[in-house]
Amino acid sequence: MNLIDVQNLHFSYPEGIELLKGIDLAFDHRSTAIIGQNGAGKTTFVKLLKGLLKPVSGDILINGVNTKEISVAKLAAHIGLVFQNPGDQIFKSSVYDEVIFGPHNIGIPEDEADESTKKALIEVGLENKVNDNPYDLSFSERKLISIASILAMNTQIVLLDEPTIAQDDYGKQLIQGLVRKLEGEGRLVISILHDMDFVAETFTRTLVFQNGKVTMDNDTKSVFSQTEAVRRAYLEPPHVTQLGNRLGYTETYLTAEQFVKDSLRKREEFKQ
Amino acid sequence: MQNISLYVNKKSFVHDVDFLTKLIYIFVFIAIPIISGSVIIGLLAILISLILHTCAGVLKKLIPIVALSLFVLLSVIIVQAAFIPGYHIVFFSLGPVHFYQEGLIHASLIIVRFLDILLVSSLTVLTTRPSDIVETLQRKGLSHRMGYVINSIFQIIPQMVSSMKTISDAQRSRGMETEGNLFVRVKAFLPLIGPVVISSLVGTRERAMALEARAFSADAKRTYFHEEMKYRYKTPVRIILLLLLVVSIIWRVL
Amino acid sequence: MSKVVVNNLKYRYPLTENLAINGLTFEIEQGELIGIIGRNGAGKSTLCAALTGLVPHFFKGAYGGSVHIDGINVKESKLSYISREVGIVFQNPFTQMTGAKETVKEELAFGLENLGVPKLEMLRRIEDALNLLEIDHLRDKNPLELSGGQMQRVAIASILVMHPGLLVLDEPTSQLDPQGTAEVFRAIKKLSNQGMTIIMVEHKIEEIAEYADRVMFLDNGKIVAFDTPTNVFSMNHLEEHGLRPPVFTRVCKGLGIRDLSGLYPVTLSEAVNEVQKFNESD
Repeated sequence: MNLIDVQNLHFSYPEGIELLKGIDLAFDHRSTAIIGQNGAGKTTFVKLLKGLLKPVSGDILINGVNTKEISVAKLAAHIGLVFQNPGDQIFKSSVYDEVIFGPHNIGIPEDEADESTKKALIEVGLENKVNDNPYDLSFSERKLISIASILAMNTQIVLLDEPTIAQDDYGKQLIQGLVRKLEGEGRLVISILHDMDFVAETFTRTLVFQNGKVTMDNDTKSVFSQTEAVRRAYLEPPHVTQLGNRLGYTETYLTAEQFVKDSLRKREEFKQ
Repeated sequence: MQNISLYVNKKSFVHDVDFLTKLIYIFVFIAIPIISGSVIIGLLAILISLILHTCAGVLKKLIPIVALSLFVLLSVIIVQAAFIPGYHIVFFSLGPVHFYQEGLIHASLIIVRFLDILLVSSLTVLTTRPSDIVETLQRKGLSHRMGYVINSIFQIIPQMVSSMKTISDAQRSRGMETEGNLFVRVKAFLPLIGPVVISSLVGTRERAMALEARAFSADAKRTYFHEEMKYRYKTPVRIILLLLLVVSIIWRVL
Repeated sequence: MSKVVVNNLKYRYPLTENLAINGLTFEIEQGELIGIIGRNGAGKSTLCAALTGLVPHFFKGAYGGSVHIDGINVKESKLSYISREVGIVFQNPFTQMTGAKETVKEELAFGLENLGVPKLEMLRRIEDALNLLEIDHLRDKNPLELSGGQMQRVAIASILVMHPGLLVLDEPTSQLDPQGTAEVFRAIKKLSNQGMTIIMVEHKIEEIAEYADRVMFLDNGKIVAFDTPTNVFSMNHLEEHGLRPPVFTRVCKGLGIRDLSGLYPVTLSEAVNEVQKFNESD
């Protein structure tokens, strides 16, 4: 069974223009990036998955359960969402209390909640700041707290809204490690992103949103191999992909390592 | 973003009148019915205000304002006409409750004054841009810090409402029950306060820096992007209004 | 005389133990575009605050050394005076809007009203800024209803109208989508071409490599390197300071493509040329 099924999804606010215009998607455990211009409907889509908004028509099934038939609070045990701005969710005066808030709410027993909270804080590298006040930490650290507070709930599905904003290379590598680890555990990560290099290096599948529709849906490499279509969605291919394109390579590259490896191999072949 | 000011942006001769003249209009049109003590004069003032609302194209906007105040008016009538002791002439009865004629007369006077005040104020509120009001006051000596605060309130309140919504979504997202009986709702409301206050404080600090970067605390003599609102007939209109006031005072004294 | 002269600048925020900036000394010339890079906590934003006088006038704390902009000592001058010499643009376009103006052109006028600039001069400067940042079509829009990229360009314009000699940008594109980012970079490039001195903090390293004349690489409140992008990104051990060089440089390092003095390509077009030569050589 798919983790998420989206069937003929339409959405608009009352008296507003239609923001999502008929989306059909199925999600298995492959990590998935959602890219597209601001206003393309990405955040609206993620809020619908999370049950914060309900479809105007069509259905969303999370593990077979229709989001229309379950409260957001109950759904929270199955699907977590990290908001774009950590200020929107942090309200406890210690990092630990903030992170354990979710596990408590969904009824995880105390010792188990404590364990998963500590584990989540280690995973985001904040194990030394357990008792700090979140507002004494930097913006990028608060963002990591908000990620930990979702990880600690051990949901099968994790949604991220622009997790890499304000992160430096260290933070990005950390988040990349988390996405891969969750994917390895068979858990689904769906993330909205503007950083194409990060998408290329991290995600298995990529969706392009444009004007309330999904215009591209494929494994990440195939999506970025269609340079023209990507540009039509007002996006730029990753830098290393552009390098390959400019050199006239037919292969689509997503990482520097792969580019180097291939180039060296080809050179060896050429020499022989 | 939704706007909390009631201003209706249209073109009309009422919109053209400057804020100070409108203030004089408010004062005179509230004072005259009170000075005269006559219900007829009060009704006349209300009629004029209604005509001005129509000319300004804001009559429709008046309906919800008046509708809201109907509740107040109704309770005035009931209290004044039925529950004030010392009246004798029963006008009509509803079951055991008697409505007295003197009370009704008194109530009608209060209602007319109330409606008069409501209408003259609403005309000004509906036809004057809030920032024009603030700018007029600034030119008359209001500090520009205060002016900024007043102007920004119109934008910041809708902003806080939308950030409340986001924060509430974030809490629900982590399994907090917000739907249900009153107790559940109140319990869900409390954790919202912290993030709303903190995020607006953080925002305020960033904004304070951005304002400083734009010479907010400069002590130069300020200039204005908008020309001072010039109303061509401001002097004759003001004179007529004040004459009306004087006439009503004289008429009352004689 | 240099546009910016910083001498042994040290600063510690109130209630903290470590120096956020620890002994910076450097000079910047008129017309340069400087990229400031480094990991979070390296002191980048603090340096921006020190260049614009927010440190020590807005943020108190312990301050040592000096910052001179056009000969003006920042510590000795009032913020409102410094704001004529140095403009700053922050990350979040939303909090940079005054929140008290209803149209873009009024928003741009805000700083000029504060400075007491005469009406005619005000109009002229606003027209220039609207054109320069390609936001002329937005002039009557409510600034709070614009897209991120548009709002950020309004933020830049509202600083530019004040005619600062130096523009400081603290991660101006970090909250924008790719299109918004491209719009803002195009505007910055244009300003730089017109001779504006610009200092920009930015994590988007490929863009820094493309646009900056010189790169200041900070770590732990100190300067690791302050040189051309080529020289800085060709250094060894960048990763130890938490920095990944541009992907083009990483590719070339992997392939061993460097010139005689040991320097690597840092931009897309340089990398294209050099990889092409590499492929054709034997």
